[in-house]
Amino acid sequence: MTDFEAAGVKVYVLSYDEAGAMADYKAAHNANFTMLSDPNSDVIRTFGILNTLVAEDDHPWYGIPYPGVYITDADGVITEKFFENNFQVRPGPEQLLAAVRGEEVLLKERSGADAEVTVEIEFEGDSLPVGLSRQIVARFSVPEGKHLYEGPVPEGLIAAGIELDDQSEGIIAYTPVTPQTRPMTLSGDGHTLNVYEGDVVLRLPVAQNGRAMEKDEDGRWVSINGCVRWQACDSESCGLPEEHRFSFRVPAEFSVMGDMGPGEGRVPAMNGAAHFQEMMARRQTEV
Amino acid sequence: MEIERDTRGAELGPNQYEDAEGYIAPLPAGSGPRTNPLGEFPTGPAVGERLPDVVTSDSDGRIVDLHADRNGQPAVLVFTRSVVW
Repeated sequence: MTDFEAAGVKVYVLSYDEAGAMADYKAAHNANFTMLSDPNSDVIRTFGILNTLVAEDDHPWYGIPYPGVYITDADGVITEKFFENNFQVRPGPEQLLAAVRGEEVLLKERSGADAEVTVEIEFEGDSLPVGLSRQIVARFSVPEGKHLYEGPVPEGLIAAGIELDDQSEGIIAYTPVTPQTRPMTLSGDGHTLNVYEGDVVLRLPVAQNGRAMEKDEDGRWVSINGCVRWQACDSESCGLPEEHRFSFRVPAEFSVMGDMGPGEGRVPAMNGAAHFQEMMARRQTEV
Repeated sequence: MEIERDTRGAELGPNQYEDAEGYIAPLPAGSGPRTNPLGEFPTGPAVGERLPDVVTSDSDGRIVDLHADRNGQPAVLVFTRSVVW
């Protein structure tokens, strides 16, 4: 949170919980963001993100949103938003901070006709808890006059992208975060493709479902293996397809999905069960 | 928009169900708290639009107007299922 403060960003968390439950949550977790209570899901409806797959009489689940995050600029205009189908995964703070700060690429400037594309690959974050996404970040430095392709591309070309190995069981890739592109028409066949130019930062949010963890005397770990692929072209011709492999081994842990009680990796910091019962009671007596 | 329910998954044992991404929970995918959409689903106002007004109670029962409260700063607004479960 101090990172958000330092970046001059206000953070709000909204749910259909009662204000009292949120106050408990804030105290239990030392949270210093603003929590907004929307017990009748009015705000959720205004945004048009009420989960309408839940039946109205399905207590207490009815009223939840399709969970997601909006980022605004100083004028209150939405600059990015992050939504995934599975509620079980949430974007980590690194992804949100990158979105509010904008991305600064601090790669060395290079010039010359034979300058090549370089890439630095990083796992951003110091651990991978279950259900919280971190990112694999690929920062490309693309010399002037060259470009990379955004997918999809016709056969024979390679789009720039980050891919996990097929056998990375238990590690799940989510929606890539990619920079703006420019349309470019190929001289040969007249195809128009979207290209990345200059300093290009690709982010692949990844999460784990709890099955990828190995345990040793130092704790729990997950391994994340894959590759970054691209092909650099200029207006005349293309270079060979390139592939850089990555392999990260990072600390892993279970995460608290709800403070309902004790359990491995859980801290029974707030009495969620009591709030849950209150919520059930209130919703069942409402017509 | 026709929204489809994601019921993919398997029963692993008593009160143990995995969803399509391999997460394990006590209820089958597509039911109760695990009601996820398959494919497209509404994600609200688009990038480039002004964030709609949000005026509601905070955890202390005070009414907060998000746009006034952020006081000219950028904002992150997280919609989450619940802080209880």
